[in-house]
Amino acid sequence: MIKSNSLLRILFLAFLFTIPFSNLFAQSDFTISGYIKDQASGETLIGAAVYIEELETGTVSNVYGFYSISMPAGDYTVSYRYVGYETITEKISLDSNIKKDIELNEENEELEEVTITAEAEDANVSSVEMSVNKLDIKTIQQIPSLLGEADIIRSIQLLPGVSTVGEGASGFNVRGGGVGQNLVLLDEAPVYNSSHLLGFFSVFNPDAVKDVKLLKGGIPAQYGGRLSSILDVRMKEGNIKKFSASGGVGTIFSRLTLEGPIVKEKGSFVVAGRRSYADVLAAPFIANTSFSDSKLYFYDLTLKGNYKINDKNRIFLSGYLGRDVFKFDGDQGFSWGNTTTTFRWNHLFNDRLFSNLTVFFSDYDYEIKFGEDEDVFEWNSRILNYSVKPEFTYYLNPKNELTFGGQAILYDFEPATTQAISAGEISSITLDNKYALESAIYLANQQTISEKISLQYGLRFSMFNYMGPGSAYEYFDDVTPGLRRGVASEEVFDRWETIETYTNFEPRFSMKYQLDATSSIKASYNRTAQYIHLVSNTTASNPLDVWTPSTNNIRPMQADQIALGYFKNLKENAYEASVEVYYKDIQNIVDYIDGADLLINRFLEGDLLAGEGRAFGAEFYLKKNTGKFTGWLSYTLARSERLVNGINNNEWYPNRFDQLHNLSLVGFYKLNNRWTFSMNFAYNSGTPATFPNSRLEVQGYIVPHSNSNKRNNVRIPDYHRLDFSATLYPKKKENRKNDSYWVFSLYNVYNRRNPFSIYFTQPDVPRDNNLTQAFQVAIFGSIIPAVSYNFKF
Amino acid sequence: MKTRKVLFIIKNQLFKNRAMKINCFSVFAKNRLISIYTLLGLFLALQACEDEITPTLDPLEPLVTIDAWLHSKSGEQVIYIQETTSYFDQSEPPARSGAEIVVSDDLGNTFEFNETEAGKYVWGDESSFSFVNTNRIYELEINLDGDVYSAVSEANRSPTVDSIVVEKREEDLGQPAGYYAQFYARDFTGPGDTYWIRSYKNGEYLGKPSEINLAYDAAFSAGGNFDGFTFISPIREGINPNDEDENEEALPPFEPGDVVRVEIWSITNGAFQFLADVADLTNREGGTQALFQSPIFNTKTNILLNGQTTDKVVGYFNTSMVNSLEKTVEEQE
Repeated sequence: MIKSNSLLRILFLAFLFTIPFSNLFAQSDFTISGYIKDQASGETLIGAAVYIEELETGTVSNVYGFYSISMPAGDYTVSYRYVGYETITEKISLDSNIKKDIELNEENEELEEVTITAEAEDANVSSVEMSVNKLDIKTIQQIPSLLGEADIIRSIQLLPGVSTVGEGASGFNVRGGGVGQNLVLLDEAPVYNSSHLLGFFSVFNPDAVKDVKLLKGGIPAQYGGRLSSILDVRMKEGNIKKFSASGGVGTIFSRLTLEGPIVKEKGSFVVAGRRSYADVLAAPFIANTSFSDSKLYFYDLTLKGNYKINDKNRIFLSGYLGRDVFKFDGDQGFSWGNTTTTFRWNHLFNDRLFSNLTVFFSDYDYEIKFGEDEDVFEWNSRILNYSVKPEFTYYLNPKNELTFGGQAILYDFEPATTQAISAGEISSITLDNKYALESAIYLANQQTISEKISLQYGLRFSMFNYMGPGSAYEYFDDVTPGLRRGVASEEVFDRWETIETYTNFEPRFSMKYQLDATSSIKASYNRTAQYIHLVSNTTASNPLDVWTPSTNNIRPMQADQIALGYFKNLKENAYEASVEVYYKDIQNIVDYIDGADLLINRFLEGDLLAGEGRAFGAEFYLKKNTGKFTGWLSYTLARSERLVNGINNNEWYPNRFDQLHNLSLVGFYKLNNRWTFSMNFAYNSGTPATFPNSRLEVQGYIVPHSNSNKRNNVRIPDYHRLDFSATLYPKKKENRKNDSYWVFSLYNVYNRRNPFSIYFTQPDVPRDNNLTQAFQVAIFGSIIPAVSYNFKF
Repeated sequence: MKTRKVLFIIKNQLFKNRAMKINCFSVFAKNRLISIYTLLGLFLALQACEDEITPTLDPLEPLVTIDAWLHSKSGEQVIYIQETTSYFDQSEPPARSGAEIVVSDDLGNTFEFNETEAGKYVWGDESSFSFVNTNRIYELEINLDGDVYSAVSEANRSPTVDSIVVEKREEDLGQPAGYYAQFYARDFTGPGDTYWIRSYKNGEYLGKPSEINLAYDAAFSAGGNFDGFTFISPIREGINPNDEDENEEALPPFEPGDVVRVEIWSITNGAFQFLADVADLTNREGGTQALFQSPIFNTKTNILLNGQTTDKVVGYFNTSMVNSLEKTVEEQE
């Protein structure tokens, strides 16, 4: 870990000098630039390759489909490539700046194969990016899924380095990081709870998603705010050429997506909605029971529009609204949801300088209400964000691509706004809101040093101000670690008054060394800082979990990760293989005292502990991209541990989601134009559990006790599961695409009761027993079949 | 508040105290309630199932357990000294005999306990008035096999139970039709009073882990800000038994003729935390609740060994002032 300031300064200077300033204003170069799009829908293509054959170099389109490449005057052969699309090759005489928008055709249907990558064929090897996984939405839709619902989060759990504490648990763990260490972005706005129904489904409607990219390491400087990963989800822009509708009827959701031009070739929209409908089906059955007012449903709605003002300006407005609602009686119940709104403005200053300004608003909230009349308990909690994020990309020359920008996020945490009435008396247990401003600036460059070596390096400087109005507390620190710390003093702060400030330099560095045409080695180092903390001491994260800012008592988390990888493509890029090893060190990880009170607790900080974490592992990935049979094999060998003063006798112990082995095998077989079969096999070693060894009897209660007082000291049995699905397309008609299809799926084919956890309890029956028992819980105890119908017209 | 506690209340509201131990093979059969929730989409949750297992545990190192909860009720005061046993050992824990136990108060009075059965140490008899008085501080001292175990506890004030109200209710959200009781009492003004509400049905203590009913002021926890209030509804209603028939259908708590008894025991803040931990550790459920469990941990004792804090002894010493009320359930229209 680089700690010393002088070292940082040297790094920063070295960084500045690496950029060839002499080239910044080079006049002899001309630029070819434009957008790369899908011919049929006008949807921009992310990561399409532009290759200059004479120079044996190129670039890729950015997340808005824009590319720019500057070269000396001359004649060039330029090819535009995107997997699953026909390559376009053009001869260009470059004697002035050229604007060239390209529309690529999807490959002829007869030749179409299941494609599971969305980039240049050899990007695995040739790109400087490492520790990055992309999943094409078509692939996600073909992975056998729980109840037939294609699911982004569950799909990425099949990739190397990604795991979960157990099925049904919300969120995901990346390279030994916690669920709260992932930045989940939907069109640049953070989504705080990515799950429906406690964790069984994720909140993204696959019909509205265009691109999914997971960054596990080598995280570029433009991303920040979370330690372990970035899940960058981009929504579709909508068909700019013609109106279309798609949707489906599944076991859980019904889905409908509408898209089309607002003004042809100028602007388009997409509206996508999903809703669970079991409650609708159930309504007649519960009409005359005390359950008639019960409600249980969840929905999400995604809206997006974009408009091209002129060649230099394009604007986007997107929104997401999703909610889970459990109502058991009139307005009593529990609900939670996310709302995000993003406005973006793409502006081309010139052919080489692309900019995007994002302004977003994100809100996660939950509310609970029990009781009526004289006895009511009503509580809601939310986290609001307002953010501005300018970003600039300067395409200096084919060898340098400069990115710089900044971000400011204003946080408003509302931990608990409550109304409580007991026997007609009203109490307010509302906690103060907490305010904070997180800001960052960054500068990064992607540089090709030679045919063999390319680099991506940058520096992010981030700052966090924890601000008033509100009270800040000091706690006694002479308490035995692991016990609750009492409040020593309180200080009241005014609006905007700084309570505490933290800053971090976050260097980021990746390099690629091309060994030969089909193989490369890559290395990366990144430091990430995280200023907000997900406070959760349960096995799986749940909708009640509260986010809390770094305060005068909670320091920001900081992680340093190094990764090293070997990448190889075989048989003309039909196979991609990679091996990566990583080591991650985390500081100031938040933990909890035993029996901590995490909710509606003014003195929450007194129940929190700080520790350090470490995670290391090796990831093996083999993917077959083309042919009738495609798929991948992913295997991760990993360890994730933490050390917290006051827990586990102050010794290192494994995180609850630690898994030594994690293997996924995903296969797709295209039998003919009507049938495609998919399978998925997952094997994970058991996660840890805390076992007692003894019991004591107090006042008739039999209480577990552990002589060793160790946390996560035992492993639950291994997890393995096989799923199948088959996709049936209707008979092909003349001049008509196969637009509707059926999916039949079987989840947990061999009906295994996979253990989620083991718990110890004194049973409730018979009364006055002195029994103690242990139970192994399986969240899904049986095979789960499902059918869904999907259409598009 | 604890996450678990809130989720537990939500679950109880959804399932009204129904146990969620679902037999893996009869998921879809059980009863109308389950079929309704199946239709409502919760069948996912209900597919969770569990199997009893007997894993191998680390070998036992027996520890001394001191169970000393003294109170202001008349009759015997009892202190048990036992050893911890292996977790799955269902036999009586070994008694620790031969201890000399003296409790003294801050006025200089001393009370000697005598061993009447192995490991059972008693002061007084059925007709004795308790020596535990409001705001007095008591010290426990135990001499056992050359070691001295000691602890201190204050007997705090306890509010009177104003009334017990019994209500006949219709079936509601799976909660069966029947007689439901609640007690009314008001927490003292001044934050930080902690209570253990113990209830009895026909003289039998409702001692299931799920029936542990604790109050911090008039609500669940220190952050509750319910100082000086009437106890909140879940605490008032927490005196009903949690019983089920053999089909795991909830039973109505009371019938006409049943006697409801409520006792409010004042407990120290430390004892409140101890009992809250006991409730957390003993009242664990499977099913989807398993998603939201926190790891088990060791309870924290207030008993010192030879003047030092230690992890070689477990249990608790507490002194309570007790107020109580009884009511016989009457037939209602």
